Amino acid sequence: MISKNLTAASTKPIILGILKQGNSYGYLIIKKIKELSGGTMAYSDGMLYPVLHRLEKEKLIVSKWTMENGSRPRKYYEITELGKQELIAEQNQWKQVNAVLDTLWNPKPSTN
Amino acid sequence: MFQLEKAITQWLMNLRKHRAFDDGTIQEMEIHLRDHMEDLMNQGRTEEEAFQEAIEAFGEVSYVAEEEFSNLKSKGTFKSLLFKAMLSNYFKTTMRGMMKHPLNSFINVFGLAVAIGACMVTYAFIDYDLSTDRFHEHAKEIFLSTYDVNRENTRERYGDTPAPLGAMLKEDFSNVKQVTRVHDGNAVVKYGDQVFHESIRYVDPSFLQMFTFPLQWGVKSALEDVNSIILSEETARKYFGEENPVGQEIELIVSDRLSKVFRIAGVTKPLPQARIIDFTLLTHIENLKVLHPSIDFNDWGQQLHATFIQVADPKEVLRIQDKMGRYKKLQNSVETDWAIDSFGFVSLHDLHLASSEIRRDISYDSSEEGRVGMPVVALFILALACFNYLNIAIVSASKRLKEIGMRKVIGASRRLIILQFITENLVLTLIAGAVGFLLAATVFLPWFSSFSSITSEFDLLDVNLWITLACVLLFTGFASGIYPAFYISKFQAITIFRGSVKFGKKNYASKVFLIGQLILTCVGIGFAVIFAQNSWYQGNREWGYEKEDVLYAVVQDPADMQKLKSAMEQQSGVLAAAGSQHHLSKKFRTSVVHRPDHEYEVHELAVGANYLEVMGLETKEGRFFHPGQVEDEKALVINELFASTLGLKAPIGQTVRIDSTLYEIIGVVEDFHFNNFYYEQSPTMFTLADESTHTYLSLKVDHQARTESYEALQKSWSTLFPTTPFNGGFQEDTWPGFYEDLNTMQRFTRAIAAVFVLLASLGLYGLIQLNVKGRVREFSIRKTLGADIWNLTSNIVSHYYFIFGIAILLGIPAAHMLNSAMLGMMFADPLPYGYLGAVGSAILLVLVLVAVVAAQVRKVSRSNPVDGLKTE
Repeated sequence: MISKNLTAASTKPIILGILKQGNSYGYLIIKKIKELSGGTMAYSDGMLYPVLHRLEKEKLIVSKWTMENGSRPRKYYEITELGKQELIAEQNQWKQVNAVLDTLWNPKPSTN
Repeated sequence: MFQLEKAITQWLMNLRKHRAFDDGTIQEMEIHLRDHMEDLMNQGRTEEEAFQEAIEAFGEVSYVAEEEFSNLKSKGTFKSLLFKAMLSNYFKTTMRGMMKHPLNSFINVFGLAVAIGACMVTYAFIDYDLSTDRFHEHAKEIFLSTYDVNRENTRERYGDTPAPLGAMLKEDFSNVKQVTRVHDGNAVVKYGDQVFHESIRYVDPSFLQMFTFPLQWGVKSALEDVNSIILSEETARKYFGEENPVGQEIELIVSDRLSKVFRIAGVTKPLPQARIIDFTLLTHIENLKVLHPSIDFNDWGQQLHATFIQVADPKEVLRIQDKMGRYKKLQNSVETDWAIDSFGFVSLHDLHLASSEIRRDISYDSSEEGRVGMPVVALFILALACFNYLNIAIVSASKRLKEIGMRKVIGASRRLIILQFITENLVLTLIAGAVGFLLAATVFLPWFSSFSSITSEFDLLDVNLWITLACVLLFTGFASGIYPAFYISKFQAITIFRGSVKFGKKNYASKVFLIGQLILTCVGIGFAVIFAQNSWYQGNREWGYEKEDVLYAVVQDPADMQKLKSAMEQQSGVLAAAGSQHHLSKKFRTSVVHRPDHEYEVHELAVGANYLEVMGLETKEGRFFHPGQVEDEKALVINELFASTLGLKAPIGQTVRIDSTLYEIIGVVEDFHFNNFYYEQSPTMFTLADESTHTYLSLKVDHQARTESYEALQKSWSTLFPTTPFNGGFQEDTWPGFYEDLNTMQRFTRAIAAVFVLLASLGLYGLIQLNVKGRVREFSIRKTLGADIWNLTSNIVSHYYFIFGIAILLGIPAAHMLNSAMLGMMFADPLPYGYLGAVGSAILLVLVLVAVVAAQVRKVSRSNPVDGLKTE
């Protein structure tokens, strides 16, 4: 199980990452996260919405109510250009963190 | 049986409780829940299981709400919550309400606006007055040297200085940075053919370093040259117009023998309005030796008008003060009659405010009554406006009972209703504040500045101005809004709709407010009546001697006086002429008289033998001086106050000692006013002055020939002294400013009174009109049943008998007390009035009431009862 703090910290790149693959709405996003993490990133579904709304306020994503024939109206979220840039920045940060941890845990044999 | 929809509704209601979620979010979450449940049910769960599982996965709503709320918070709680929700909505209802009742809204807004405007003018006045003489950069480091004298067991502080002190302070104290002595003297200033009497200020060169008057031409250091003179901007304009006069020469003439030519070395910029210490012409103090040679800088027996010191740190002054004892010894060894207690210092920063407690200082404080009176008046107007508002608000709420009931039924809590009323009130106050500020800026302040020296514009960059406005608005908003809000929100919806609310019947608070309103009205009208009476009284009061048919003139040289006197004695209109060294309302000296048991400080006027006759002073006992009688040189004529101060029951024949000479009292005159009526009378004695000291000429003239005699005096003057401007006039013109002042005060009080009466009538009108409106049906029925005008009147009035009675009973003494306290503060000897003024104001109040009720009765009696019955 992934810790709460780490989950919270990673929510933003994860949501941006999911939205980069295509527009989606709240319930689908959370389902996707659960699928991808194999259930290791469990947090209450409701907590997703404040995060979505915050990202929207920061203009990283935009939303639109959509009526599909037959089904319920849904609020779709779409990533913006700003959101895409932010995602790249996030990716770099996570990569750096990953690199640091990697070198710490898999020390290369010293060359001299 | 599990009911899905009910469960979802319940869950959604729980969401709604949290203000963080707006409708869109709630819908979004509902859809989330339903999507999730659908998935779960597809996996084979029952409805109930699916619901339980979905809300569990959703998580604790309050945490979500908290998280969502933090999003909102960064948007600004104040803005989003207060402005968006409340203001936009309540503002709308307020505006609608105001449009619906335009008269009441006008009364409320106008009343509050006038009150707020009055507060702002008061602020401007006090701010202006407190800034007096504080514009000098070093105002807090500059101190006036003072001394205290203990006489007749009262300590008096004096602002002049023994002549040698200034130089010694500079010499003896290393922590005294600069010293300037200040002395004023009169002179005739001559430039080309322009001659004017001017007051010259003689100072040390450091004066302009200490008092940072800015110069537009010339340099401050020029003052070090004894042949230089510096002009104020006004003086320069008077002699030279717009021209730069630096380098020009002017002559100062004190007498035929004493004169000196000066070179103009500087001119000030226009000086700030808020100042008392300034100058017309400024020159080196050494020039006193030339122009006033009798002044000896080394004589502890002589006084200079002021000495200022400047220290680096204001705290230093206490240390200096501790060491002033040695000067006290020096002073008291010379002046045994004028023994002082201690020397002290008053900061220039506080001098204006302190100067009413300091005698003979070069500063003064003529605005003390304004500083006290204006806030009192402003607060009264504000209180009256608030009471008006309160009473109208409570009654007009009865029109809104159904609205309130309805709102309560739909689910508004009491808190929300209170919030609504307070918001409405704040909106109203804000509008009133804006109107009030405009009124103050465009009407009140310009009007006020038309008779005072205060500037006619608000300083819009002054932060304190806005803080004051905000405080006044908040105070007004809450003072007038809290009670109605709580009172109105209290009613239960059910009693409202049942119609069983008996409005205002049992409400003691609203009765108290009404009584308060009436008492304030009473005091306000009383203020107007009493001050008008007092102005009339002061304006027509006798001075205690002849002022209309007496002319006076003052010359520089006693020899000139004799010439002028003999010339004037030829005139047919002149009945008698007298010379004197001092003159009523112009000049006196302070003397100390000794009795075996005590010593007293009195005013002394040294006069010619027939001076008392010429001035028309009334003898009470004994006689005046006899011309040519040698023993009268050791005689005194005193006033009644002198006798009573010294405790002389039979004053004639008694003796007192002055210096080392014994004087005998030969006559007592009735008390008179040396100074205008702001001042108290003083114990005064007249002594016989030798002709060689007479510089004042007084002429008793025939009433028929007063104008001719005045012209003759001016003509003789210009023949005898062609180079000196005329200096004299009618005795009645010797209280410069007093009657103008009285006139000003009359204008001021009249305006205040008008405001009071206007606000009071408006308030009462609004109140009674509302009351009548609420009873239209009742009156219509009464009319159909045959009620006549009197019947209706007594019906309208019956509500108010009791309240009016109490208000008048309390209002009259209140008006009497407050107003006489205020008058007593302003005038040494105020109008000796009984209850007449207060009773007059009560009568006026009743008249206002009658007028207001009559207007309503007229309306009711003219209305068609059918229309009244048709209305809901």
